[in-house]
Amino acid sequence: MENSKRRFLKGTCALLAGATGATLLTTVNAAESAKAEAEIKYAMVHDESKCIGCRACEVACREVNEVPEGVSRIEILQTGPFGEYPNQFYHFSRKSCQHCEDAPCVNVCPTGAAFIDKETGIVSVDAWKCVGCQYCIAACPYQVRFINPVTHAADKCDFCRETNLAQGKQPACVAACPTKALVFGNLKDSTSEIVQVLRANPTQRAKVALGTRPKLFRILAKSGEVVL
Amino acid sequence: MSKIKWLWSIRLGAIALLLSFSAASAESPLQINSDAACMKCHKRNGSMLGHHGQDTMKMSCSSCHGEKGDHPKKPNDLVVFSLQEGSELDKQLAVCRKCHTPKKLSAADWTHNVHAKKVPCAACHKLHSATDPMAEMTPKVRSELCSSCHAGKQE
Repeated sequence: MENSKRRFLKGTCALLAGATGATLLTTVNAAESAKAEAEIKYAMVHDESKCIGCRACEVACREVNEVPEGVSRIEILQTGPFGEYPNQFYHFSRKSCQHCEDAPCVNVCPTGAAFIDKETGIVSVDAWKCVGCQYCIAACPYQVRFINPVTHAADKCDFCRETNLAQGKQPACVAACPTKALVFGNLKDSTSEIVQVLRANPTQRAKVALGTRPKLFRILAKSGEVVL
Repeated sequence: MSKIKWLWSIRLGAIALLLSFSAASAESPLQINSDAACMKCHKRNGSMLGHHGQDTMKMSCSSCHGEKGDHPKKPNDLVVFSLQEGSELDKQLAVCRKCHTPKKLSAADWTHNVHAKKVPCAACHKLHSATDPMAEMTPKVRSELCSSCHAGKQE
């Protein structure tokens, strides 16, 4: 009798200790894997002082991501001409998804179709989950979302996550740019080209006051006028 | 009998007329290509088929290329339109600007404004072929044209 009580207590204690140990181990493992997952944070720089407005990026994006005519994931906005003929120039800026860290489109999506990829920080769309309610289109302060007429789902730039990036290549626009005005890379890798470019140049991001923490940086053209 | 003769003469006349038309169109459709002084030697260069050679434009080779002068001796005052082997840039641009004002060029395409002092028109436009390669371009061809000069440049 005495013995069985002692054995029961011993057994229970051993079980509890084992269970606690296992739980602790799994938490540590989970924490480690979470840390590993967040080692990539993709961003892009558009150097407007190098952009010549050839729109090779638009063409390449349409081709690689099979974006139908009439809609586009990326647009080069053109302002100008500035100055007097024959010494005129234009400004070009890129209009595309800013891959916000706190993305309004993701926050409002009722089905979870709009999401931030935990491994890369890319804001993406799961076309299969999208019901086409267009709430994200209304919520996006940068107005870069559209309904793809083929898939009938919300669509936008995803840094070629499902196409070029999946094949280990640079995004189509970056690869196509003849003047190397676009730089794409990992913000968490201090040796990456994008980090070097961001360190060496003053950059701006659009509508930072909204707290969306966008990851599309622009290097402003050196010469220019104030456009109101 | 006389009726049959009359019918035959009409038929023969019609055939002759058709033949003469086809012969004329095969030979030289545009007046500018019968400019004997130039075509005596330059026939091998092919004929002038572009918009500027249309009869209604009433242009001759010298309208753009200048008077013959000492040509084919060198040096001469003829204007050669080309990016690589052409006459001086200002000389080439001056010829085109006689008709194509900056305002019209600007309205036609914004790229004219930024290249105004940098490249001759012939760097992109081809005037002798039946259609100018710049007339109808897909966005892809257009961006490739930009890259053909701008690739690798940092500006």
